[in-house]
Amino acid sequence: MSDVDAASPFDGEKAPTSPRADLITAAVLFALGVAIVAQAWQMPRFIEQSGTGLTAPGIVPGFYGAVLSLLSVALGLRAIGRGGWVVRGAATGNAADRRQLTTAAALGLVYAGGMVGRVPFWLASALFVFAFTSAFEWDLGKQGRVRRIIEAALIGIGTGVAVMLVFEKLFLLRLP
Amino acid sequence: MDALNNLAGGFAHVLGGGAIFHALWATLIGIIIGALPGLTATMGVALLTTLTFGMGPDKAMLVLICVYVGAIYGGSRSAILLNIPGTPASAASTLDGFPLARQGLAGRAMGISTTGSWFGTLFGTLILALFAPSFGEFALQFGSYEMFWVALFGIVIAGSLSGGDALKGYIAGFIGLFVATIGQETNHAYPRFAFGNGDLAGGLGLLPVLVGVFGVAEVLSAMRGPAVKAVSSKIDSVIPRIRDVTQYWKTILRSGALGTFIGAMPGLGEDIAAWTSYAAAKRASKEREKYGKGSIEGLMAAETGESACVPGAIIPVLTLAVPGSAPAAVLMAAMMIHGLNPGPMLAITAPEFIYQIVAMLVVADMVKMFYGLVLVRPLLWILLIPRSRLMPIVFVLCTVGAFAITSRLFDIWVMLGAGLLGFVLREFRFPMAPLVLGIVLGDLLDKNLLRGLVLSGGDLTPFFTRPISMGLCALTLLAAAWSIPGLSGIFRRKRAVA
Repeated sequence: MSDVDAASPFDGEKAPTSPRADLITAAVLFALGVAIVAQAWQMPRFIEQSGTGLTAPGIVPGFYGAVLSLLSVALGLRAIGRGGWVVRGAATGNAADRRQLTTAAALGLVYAGGMVGRVPFWLASALFVFAFTSAFEWDLGKQGRVRRIIEAALIGIGTGVAVMLVFEKLFLLRLP
Repeated sequence: MDALNNLAGGFAHVLGGGAIFHALWATLIGIIIGALPGLTATMGVALLTTLTFGMGPDKAMLVLICVYVGAIYGGSRSAILLNIPGTPASAASTLDGFPLARQGLAGRAMGISTTGSWFGTLFGTLILALFAPSFGEFALQFGSYEMFWVALFGIVIAGSLSGGDALKGYIAGFIGLFVATIGQETNHAYPRFAFGNGDLAGGLGLLPVLVGVFGVAEVLSAMRGPAVKAVSSKIDSVIPRIRDVTQYWKTILRSGALGTFIGAMPGLGEDIAAWTSYAAAKRASKEREKYGKGSIEGLMAAETGESACVPGAIIPVLTLAVPGSAPAAVLMAAMMIHGLNPGPMLAITAPEFIYQIVAMLVVADMVKMFYGLVLVRPLLWILLIPRSRLMPIVFVLCTVGAFAITSRLFDIWVMLGAGLLGFVLREFRFPMAPLVLGIVLGDLLDKNLLRGLVLSGGDLTPFFTRPISMGLCALTLLAAAWSIPGLSGIFRRKRAVA
């Protein structure tokens, strides 16, 4: 027997969402579709240049926006037909899931949006990997925590140095 | 005779200059990426594209094809040993692969997986070699009107069949198409949806968007949710048995043909190929009762189908510039980045390239077989790497991948935005394949619609009256009608009555 620390990311991909969630999604998508059409309508037509106006930049996105609006109306009607107007969908995931997701997203944002470009890339990557690994392994218990943190630091430094060597020195790519 | 000469030339070209070395490391990385749950073939091809920037186009394509072939095969490792499909394509393999492993036959299951996958890729490659050149010549008759329908057909069929919910598939496809319109358009260089931002006016890079949708979104998905306890078993001999092949040769041929055909259909991909092959094998089987309990035939069918899909998905890339699957979409984007121009003109400008791709697929298939036999225990150790240590490294690679192509920090923000979009859409059960297809095909659809309208002076009739156009239009409408529950029910009832 062995433990594997990864759930299948594809589990439940076929499971339907709640009608309420579909209804809210439909409303957001409808707003997006209408906004696209409105933006496309305001684009210049270039009739003098083309003679016909058929090359107007807004034609294609306007068409996409209109189709997106229609499809979102269909999604909304289907959700209402399934009780989306009255039935409240259960909140997805539990508090631990949400905490893990928030931690991963926040660390990713701080790294890619905040540190990259301001801190040397190898150092930013090392700090990110160290912080990410430590944060997610902190709850595994007090036993072995120091060892796990030391390992996280080593993995972080190893990643930072390896990425720099492989991409910058071996494959001659520019790093941020 | 010309074809044979071209094929020999293709092998001679591909096998020179350290190709085997590149094939060995790239296939290994592909297998590892495929085996690790949460890392998909699409993400692997997108990330490795970054590494190929400094290579020549032929070496780059060899590396990416090896990653693609390896990743689709690698998914079966975790499917068999851990009951977790490494990639969505391997989900069908868990049904019989894991029960075999629980019976103490993990080695035999992996041997069957290796054999099926090897035959599948070889079969698909043979079809590619036989039909892609002539189909490419046929595709030369396609003008703007036809290419518009081909692109639209890709979105519709991917939306209909790739995720179970056709409506959400269409929406994902049109969101992808919209994303592709951001930035300067070609006729008047007008910056669409740029809002005065110079970076947005330059458009969203294909690679940062794809890395975001598949890399960042997958990291977020993998880190959410509880860890599961999975079971592995001791591994017996992985040497494939001749009897497994001779006994199920019909299944291998059927699954190979189905997998290749589904691969050639725009946007469907390996998971549908595996499920369809599995279902067809079960219907035709004399031992249906074994399916789901450790059927060798079932596992063989799923593995052959998904691996045959890989060359199948490359056929429309080479002949129409329309990808057959999500990883093939990224492969096509990589071809464009490297200055190769896939599509109908390829048959004229570089006919030898099709045969070079054939040679690359064969090399990748052979290397895959080699690793399938020797790389069992090390892969088991790799499968046990905790996600808390793997995912931050993947995120770092995503950041490098997004930045490397144009060295713009803006592309990292594009990656983050695309990652968020991909994650949210995935959470609400929108399939990813139509989204990717929309992003990749957006430019093709946009240009050909406008070009067609200009050529016809605003007249829409050529879109419907030219013979090939008419056929493609009918296919598109049929695919759309099929996804409407009432209409598809009528089709099925009529077939049942007949």
